[in-house]
Parts: sequence; C-alpha cells; structure tokens
Amino acid sequence: MKKIKLITLAWLLMTHFFAMPVSSNEKVSKVAEGAKLYSENCARCHNARPASDYTKREWSVVMPHMREKAHMTGTETLAVEAFLDSTLTADVKNSRAADVAPQPTRSAEELIAQFGCQGCHLINGEGGNLGPTLDGVVQAKGKSFVKKKLKNPKFNNAASAMPQFPMTSLEIDEIVEFLGQK
Amino acid sequence: MLAALALSANVYAQEESTLDIGRFAVAGYGDVTFVDAKNENSSIESRFVPIFLFQLSEKIHIESELEFSIGENGETVVEMEYADIHYFLNDNTTITAGKFLLPFGQFGPNLHPSWINKLPAVPGIYGHGGNGSLTPLIPVMSDKGVNVRNVFKVGQGKLFTDFYMVSGPREEAVVVGGAGVPGGHGSIPEVAFEAAKGDNNGKQAYGGRVAYAFLPSVEVGYSFYSGAYSDDGKLNYSANAIDVNWITSFATVRGEIINTETDFIDPLDGEQDLFKRGGWYLQGSWQMRQLGKEVFNPVELIVRYSELNDALAGKRWTLGVDYWLEASAALKFAYENTKLEDGDIDNRIFVQLAFGF
Ligand code: HEC
Ligand code: HEC
Repeated sequence: MKKIKLITLAWLLMTHFFAMPVSSNEKVSKVAEGAKLYSENCARCHNARPASDYTKREWSVVMPHMREKAHMTGTETLAVEAFLDSTLTADVKNSRAADVAPQPTRSAEELIAQFGCQGCHLINGEGGNLGPTLDGVVQAKGKSFVKKKLKNPKFNNAASAMPQFPMTSLEIDEIVEFLGQK
Repeated sequence: MLAALALSANVYAQEESTLDIGRFAVAGYGDVTFVDAKNENSSIESRFVPIFLFQLSEKIHIESELEFSIGENGETVVEMEYADIHYFLNDNTTITAGKFLLPFGQFGPNLHPSWINKLPAVPGIYGHGGNGSLTPLIPVMSDKGVNVRNVFKVGQGKLFTDFYMVSGPREEAVVVGGAGVPGGHGSIPEVAFEAAKGDNNGKQAYGGRVAYAFLPSVEVGYSFYSGAYSDDGKLNYSANAIDVNWITSFATVRGEIINTETDFIDPLDGEQDLFKRGGWYLQGSWQMRQLGKEVFNPVELIVRYSELNDALAGKRWTLGVDYWLEASAALKFAYENTKLEDGDIDNRIFVQLAFGF
C-alpha cells in the first residue's frame, strides 16, 4: 500500500517536473505554429490584419468568425490566437518599461523562435513567405532600417501585417546583429 | 504535498486562463464612394456595415451583419446581410444555421466587403448594389437555411467542403419591361434571390462548394446551386461556378466563371424552355512595395476584365490604384470602361474611401 502511494507520488512528481519545461516549450512552438498558420491563411482574402487591431479578448471572438471563412480547424484557430496574443502585452500597448533593462534577457535565436519570425519570413532559407526574406536584409537595407522596422513595423508601411513585438532596444540590437551575419 | 502540487499546477493553468476570452465584439466596414458616369449624374454613396459577434461558448458562435445606407428618398435603409449561429461540432466540422452568405464562388462570401474588394466596383458578373450598365448574372447571395462545412487534409493540401439547403429563389414580383434583348426584358426570366419571409413554393434550394487548396498560394473551387423559383415549384434556376485563386505576399490573380440556367415559359407558344447565360472575370493585383521605394510601399495596382455572354452581353475593363492607409483602410481610384453588345459605351470614374474596423 505504502509502495503504491510512493510510486504514485514519484510519478506525479516526475510528470509534474517534466511537464513544466515541456509546457513552456509547447507554448513557444504553439506561437511559432500560429505565426506560420497566420501567414498561410490570413492574407488569402484580405490584407493580413495586424495583432494590434484588436485586444486579446476581441480576437477570441473574431477568430471563430475567421475560422469559418478560412476553413481552419479548431486547433489551428487556437494556435493563431496564441500567436496574436503573444505580441499583445503591456510593453507594446503602453510604455516600453523594459527599455531600461541593462541586459538583453533573451538571445536572438530565442527571440526569433519565441515570436515566430519564421512563420512569415525566410531565415537561412527556411520559413514562410508573407514577408520578404530576412537573409541578407541587414546588408541590403542597413542596420538602422532593420532596427526601425522592429521598433515600429508601420514606420514605412501603414498596411504592414508585421506585429510590433514586445522587445527591448537591446534585444532588437541582438536580432539585428544576428541577422547581419546571415 | 499533493495540495502543493495541485496549487502549483493551478499557477500554470492560469497562464492559459480564460481571462482573455471575450464574449462580444463589434467589427464591420464602411465606405464612401464617388462615381462619375457620362450618362448619369455623378453621385456620392455611403454605407456603414457593423458586424456583431458573440461567443456563447467554445462550441457556439453567433454573427450578424447589418447594412445601413441611404435610400432614394433620403430614408435610412437597413438590410440584414446575415445573422447566423455556428455550432462547432468537432475540430473539422461546423454547422451553420440562420441567414448566411452562401458559399458560392469567391466574391460573394469572401471578397465583397469594400475594404477587401480591391476595386470600388463589383466584378461585372455579380450584382451587389449597382453594376453600372451591365446586367449581372448572380447577386451576392444570402439566404436562410443550414450549411455544413468541413475541412480535410488531403495529400499536400486541404480540401474545403460546404453543403447547404436554403429557402431558395422566388419569382420576381414585378417584371421590368423594356430595353435589353430583342423582344424586351420580359424574355429574361425574372428570378429574385433576396431572402423573404416564408417560401413561395415550399421547395428548398440546395448547393455547395468543394475546393482544394495548397496554402498559402493556390485555391481552386467548384460551386453549384439549384432551386425551384416559380410559385408552382415547376420552374428551376441553377448556377455553377469555378473559381481559381493564386495568391502571393505581394500579388494575386483571381478568376471566376459562372454559368446559369433558368427554366421559363415561352410567352409565344406557352412551352417550357431553358434560358442560359454565362460570364467570367479575371483580376490581378500587384503591390508596388516590390519596387523597394518607400513612397510606393502603400500603393497597389489592380486590373480586372469582366465579360457577360449570351443575352445582355457586355465587356468591361476596370483599372484601379489603391492607396492603403492601414491594413484595412484604403483610398481607391478606378476607371471603368464597359462595352455593351449594342455598341453602347459606358465610362465611369470611381473614388472610394473604404475601411474595415
Ligand atoms: C476565405 C477568406 C478569408 C480568409 C482566409 C480570412 N478572412 Fe478575415 N475576413 C474575411 C471576410 C469576408 C471578412 C469580412 C466579414 C464581413 O464583412 O462579413 C473578414 C474580416 C476579418 C476581420 C474583421 C473582423 C470581422 O470578424 O469581420 C479580421 C480581424 C480578420 N478578418 C482577420 C482574419 C485572420 C486573422 C485570418 C486568418 C486566420 C483571416 N481573417 C482569414 C475573409 C477571410
Ligand atoms: C505575421 C507575420 C510576420 C511576423 C511574425 C514577422 N514579420 Fe517581419 N514582416 C512581415 C511582412 C508582411 C513584411 C513586409 C511588409 C512590410 O513592409 O511591413 C515584413 C517586413 C520585415 C522587415 C523589412 C524587410 C524588408 O526587406 O523591407 C524586417 C527586417 C522584418 N520584417 C523582420 C522581422 C523579424 C526580425 C521578425 C521576428 C521578430 C518578424 N519580422 C516577424 C510580416 C511578419
């Protein structure tokens, strides 16, 4: 009896322990999957609508409408919602409080994975096609252009579908450095 | 110990909490259009079309759209474009009931809202508001009934299917006599599609669309629609369409071919006859941001050719330039040239401000 209790406890502990990293990875990959689905589905009939057009709550009501139009599955719809939600944080909507952070907390690769850049762009020849390839973009257009684009995607294109990502200036620099090596 | 586990599990659950799930949202679109035509007074039209969306539960979603415009005598005209309920049966299947936009072709269900339609006018084969001097083949159809929608993964692509049963068409109450084909307009059977209360003949119309898509770039669909329209239920109207869509991040090419067949009683000999009419359009668009010049980033060029065959034939070119102010707002300019079969030419200029919200 005691044995069973112990085993159950150990099993619970184990699943719990392993569940943590898995679930946070799952979230990242759900956002990346959502970005890919968004880039494949959401610009087919109309210009892709940027995440900032609605609040998270509004998106949760708009998305079932678009699930129908786009013939998406329920699972796909939730992934797109997760992607849209991922960029709608207080940092973006309000002030960039994080700008004062002394250190970038995430590496370029982490940021690119987290925000699903490859859902819409090619990097190392891999990814989606909603936006232009990012291979060679720093060489072609310059560091300051790419920085400006990441700070405010609408600065040179009011109809841009690219979300304004909740990133600090230092993190933007990381991405620009990283893309500069491509 | 278990309590602690349960608690911490709760903390993780909260990250995916239901706090961000809404119940109600308002969206919609509107436009202001200026039209200058040679043979008519120039005019300014304006519409406001709100959409109300409700999420009752994970499985149930309600949508409705009202169109507000100004009528001939200055009165406010309100039309219910759709009001329906979706039941998400499972991951792939949705059942829709109510008054909904029929999934026939592309333009009707997917492209007609003015912030989506890249041109300020409808393709020549469709009727939805004015179609200038052309007599359209088919309206943007919205009707009462039930639709079952499915999506399947098939091979590298996706298969979309819709099948519906609706009230169906009716006899046009007032037959407009006059110009058009030899023998007068009366020889074109008058079929009405606007949903009305009840049904004139107790016979439903049925239809559907089956499409195959390689996302994101290619979608090809076949649609059909058939229903009795006469009061005695003996005369039938049917239509079918093929739509082809090629979409990239900066360019699109879309085309639709529609054929219609209408039974009618020949007024000369009293025999039942078949009236056939067809048409098609092809539209291309290209975003000038491809040029890499910042000033051209918000500009898109559009060209469309429409053709109506058989009775009341006509050919139309439409050229447009859109200036995008937002992803869902544009200032659109277009020039339209229509040649009718009797040689009449109708040129129009459009300026439209369209917005989706
Ligand atoms: C098959 C065509 C089609 C696809 C694919 C599509 N949309 Fe739409 N979308 C429409 C139409 C049509 C409307 C306008 C609805 C109306 O006016 O009745 C619309 C409206 C919207 C609106 C305005 C709010 C609303 O509900 O009317 C948003 C936001 C939107 N779409 C986002 C998206 C997103 C995100 C995706 C990808 C998941 C997407 N759309 C895919 C056709 C499409
Ligand atoms: C939802 C799709 C989407 C996502 C996700 C996305 N972008 Fe974009 N991006 C676009 C589109 C569309 C354009 C081109 C239109 C425009 O000018 O905004 C673009 C343009 C750009 C440009 C300018 C390229 C040029 O040649 O002008 C850069 C740089 C860029 N994106 C970087 C990124 C990075 C880095 C990420 C991830 C942190 C990212 N994007 C995520 C859609 C996206």
